[in-house]
Parts: sequence; structure tokens; C-alpha cells
Amino acid sequence: MAVYINSTGRYLPGKAIDNEEIENVLGLINGKKSRLKNKILNSNGITKRHYAINDKQQTNISNGEMAALAGKSCIESSFIAASKIQMLSCATSQGDLVLPGFGSMVQAELNLSEVELHTSHGICSSSMMALKAAYTNIKCDEADNALVIASELTSRLFKRSRYEQVTNKAVDFNAEFLRWMLSDGAGALLLENQIRPTGTSIRIDWIKSFSHADVYPVCMSVGIAKDNEHKSWQDYETYSEAEKAGALMLRQDVRLLENIVSIGVQGFLKLITQGKVEINKIDHVLCHFSSKYFKSKIFDMLETAGASIPESKWYTNLYERGNTGCASIFIMLDEFIKTKKLKAGETIFCMVPESGRFNCAYMHLTVME
Amino acid sequence: MEQMVLTKLGQNCLQALLKTWLDFDLSITKVPIVKRLEQGRLSIEDYQQLLLNLRQQVIEGSRWISRCASSFDRDYSDVRSIVIHHAHEEHKDYLMLEADYIATGGKQETITAFKKNTGSEALHGFLMYRASQPNPIDLIGAMWIIEGLGNKMACKWSKYINEQFSFDTEITSFMDYHGENDENHLLELYKLIDRVATCQKNIDGIIRTAKVVAKLYQLQLEEIDNV
Repeated sequence: MAVYINSTGRYLPGKAIDNEEIENVLGLINGKKSRLKNKILNSNGITKRHYAINDKQQTNISNGEMAALAGKSCIESSFIAASKIQMLSCATSQGDLVLPGFGSMVQAELNLSEVELHTSHGICSSSMMALKAAYTNIKCDEADNALVIASELTSRLFKRSRYEQVTNKAVDFNAEFLRWMLSDGAGALLLENQIRPTGTSIRIDWIKSFSHADVYPVCMSVGIAKDNEHKSWQDYETYSEAEKAGALMLRQDVRLLENIVSIGVQGFLKLITQGKVEINKIDHVLCHFSSKYFKSKIFDMLETAGASIPESKWYTNLYERGNTGCASIFIMLDEFIKTKKLKAGETIFCMVPESGRFNCAYMHLTVME
Repeated sequence: MEQMVLTKLGQNCLQALLKTWLDFDLSITKVPIVKRLEQGRLSIEDYQQLLLNLRQQVIEGSRWISRCASSFDRDYSDVRSIVIHHAHEEHKDYLMLEADYIATGGKQETITAFKKNTGSEALHGFLMYRASQPNPIDLIGAMWIIEGLGNKMACKWSKYINEQFSFDTEITSFMDYHGENDENHLLELYKLIDRVATCQKNIDGIIRTAKVVAKLYQLQLEEIDNV
């Protein structure tokens, strides 16, 4: 059974926030402007993003609500009624509640009846895991359709007060780094087992991912303090102690991050070897790279490998929509499909590297008649 | 970097070589001593063991490259020239390695008398065997893996080691030197790939040798903890 993406949707909260306004929303840590901000923004190349919190760091819209709005816009531009949706597959790196699963909250928000539910948990690649669960479900005839939604509300982790709670006050580079990288938003895809005359019915040819958690230490995390990599936030006497120790901060081990490039290219070469992808038959590349810096690294390594894909084939909306973690690839697909005049037979290669503990997901799509 | 390998077969070969290298890179990241090195848990004894064990392969290294050069006949005289140059450049690398060992407090007689570990024996044995075959173009696969590792040592390992230890004199000259020279070596390798990756059979041979060398090099690193 072939599986098609027949509709897409996105939701980006509030107005676009430019680089100058970021600290007006997230707040000044201990009243001081960041010294790192410009350096990191220059490197990632992001110029605009959206936040679900206001300038008093209060939440305007929840993660579940954003997911539902993206899902709603996706359903509204599709050929089917919400009541016909058979599966809901959701992803986020942090839901509004610790439990139950994010999918339950989104289902309730969307008021969908009796769907088969799936929630995948992880970071950037969790959306691809949610997509794969939905794809395989349709492919093996367990469902006729599935709504897949990925949503992120990371700005809550970047409020000034989060950093000010940490006892030794000094915010290290690894804890501050992602403050200038990530922002909020949601994206949705509707999958069906039939082509619709939308002009942009897109067949999913395959989805594949390779995880390397056995090789590398944790690179991006919430739940451990800087110097104590074995003590989980749940092992402290009280949650407030965990926060004071810095165990609730979103951290990135910047030094390990460079490995993301080689694992991304390694998986790509593996797929070439397996005959799943042919470089000169790729028409468009949608890669969830987190920054301009890593894009150039990926380019260099593909050139070294004699496997480069011309820059004109690469599409991204990272710089204008922000890095929305797992939602990025769906938000990218949505805008790409809606703004590009795609022709039948064109192929789209998607790649979502995740630095959490190094997982890289790939997908191959073909535009239908 | 501009495109260095121009032929279609050369590009195929290059892709397969880089894939083999990246697989090797992932595999050795899991080797216990490499894990300790890359995660800041290396002891000075570990580093000394690493040097002691690497030295035996490095000192033999120039032998297989020299033999490899001599196994190319008149049809490959251009390849022979490049390989001779390569052998000449590397045949005294082990002196740097010994100096590093001594700078960490090791004794000359210890490193001179040290025996190859079982992985080094296997690696050296395989390389000498392949180098003795007529026109051993597949050894470009071996050079690719070993050059790649040299680059990793210079760009990554040397930094980690220097962050963990401080000595009056330099202790990573061997690893650093490999980084400085690597770009030239890499250019030479690119040239060689275009020259010899002229049919699928040749490419298969190059990749097979690269894979075997990668596996045996990994064994050499694993065996450091078993010496």
C-alpha cells in the first residue's frame, strides 16, 4: 500500500521576533545583556523566529494548543473530515505535562474521536519517528489515513528566571547556547493511502533512520546538571534542588556537536550504497540543519565524498521561521509544498539529524500526477 | 574544497571510501581507550600505552609502503613515484612518536623493546602480504584509512590530550605533524583514486582492503587494553 502526504499545515505563535527583540521576550538574565547572543546568531544565520510566551515570559498558548492549530489547518485544507481520521501520531521534545503522552493532549484539543494514538519522544528526529509510525501503519493496511503533528514550545526553558534559579549564577556556554538557537511552532502532515487531486500529492517512498547512541555520550539534554552526568533530575531530594543545581536546563555539549556532520553523511552514503537514493536523481533537498555553520560543514563533507548536491537544490526556511526542533521539518515541508511549483515525478530528499544522542533520519518523497 | 576526483568511477570509489572511513570512525569511537580519550578520562599511563602500541605499527608502516612501491611495474611507474614520495615522508615518523613517549616520562629502551600487540601483528601481516602482490593498487584503501586516522589524531585527539595533561615539552608532536602534512597526502590520494579507480573490479579491491585495514586497526586499538 503506497502512502501519500495529501495535506500540510503549520502554526507559528504570535508575530515574528527579530534578533534585536529576543531578549525583550526571553528576558535579561540577571538584568544583563548576553555576551554570547550575537556570536551564536551570526553563526546560525537565523533572523526571525516565533515564541509562545509574551514579554513577561507568560505562556500565551500551550504546546498542545499549537499542535492542534497546526493539525486543524492541515485537516481544513484536506479532502477529509476530522471525524474520518483514524490515527493521530504526535511528537514533541517536551509536552505541557510530563504525563500523559503528548498525543492524548493533542487529541483532546482537536476533539478527534477514537483514533489510534501514538506519541514519540525525543528531540529533532522525534517527528520523523512519529511520521514513520503513521507511514508503516498505513503501509501495512492498519489504517487508511493518519494525522501526524510535531510541536515545540522550548521558550519556556529559556526564560530569564530559569537561569537565575541556578545557584552558582554563572550560566555556562553549553546552557546558554540553545537559547539563541531554538524557538516555538508546530507543523502537521496528513497521510492517506490514496492520491488526491491536489496537484501536490506526495508519495513517501521510504523513511529510514540510524541511531548512534551506543557510540557517543549525551550531547543535548534536559535532566542532568553540568558536572554530574549520572544524577538525574529525579534523583534530587526535591525538584527545587534539581533546578538550583541546573539539572533542569536545556544543555548542549557544543564540543560533541561536530559529530552530527559525520553521522549525517555516513547515513547518506549508507543509503547510496543500499541503492535507496541516487544523488543525481534528487531534485530537492530539505535538511533540518540547525545553523548556517553546519550547513557549510555538511556541504564540505559531501564534496569530499564526491557526493555533493548543488546548492540550488537545497531549500530551507530556517532563517525566517526559526529552529523549531522536531517541528522544523514539517514546517519546512509545509512552506516548501505551498510555495514551490512542484512537478510530477520530482523527488525530495529529507534529512533530520538530531544531536540529542546522535540519531539521523532520512526520507525520500516523489511528487505525484 | 573544489572537486578533486573527476571521473565517474573515481567518484564512486571516493564515496565508498568515505563511507568505509565513517564506519571505522564510529567503530573506534566505541573502543574503550578511545572512549576514555575522547571523554576526558585518559590517564597518562593510557596515553603512554597508546604511544607504545602505535609505535610498532608506525615503524613497520614505512616498510609496507616501500614494498608496495617496489611492487608496481612499469605500467604504474607514475603511481610508484607517488608512493615512494609518501614512504619517504613517513619513514621517520616513529622518531617523533618516541620523543613524545619520552616527554611523558617513558624510557627509550621500553619503547624500543616493546612488541607489536596482536592487532598490530595482524595489521602488519596483512599490509605486507598485500604490498607483495603485483601492482597492489588496493592499498590506496589502506592509505585512505590510515591518513584519515592521522587527521583525526591531529584535529581531535591531540587537543583532548593537551587539555588533560601538561608537560614542559610537547607530547603530541607525532599526532600534530600528521595534521600538518595531511592535506598534501590527501591531494595525492585524490590523484591516485582517479588514476586507478578505472573499473569496478579495482574499486572493489580498494574498498575491501580499506575495510580489512579498518577492522585490523580497530583490533590494534582494542588490544592496547589487553597488553
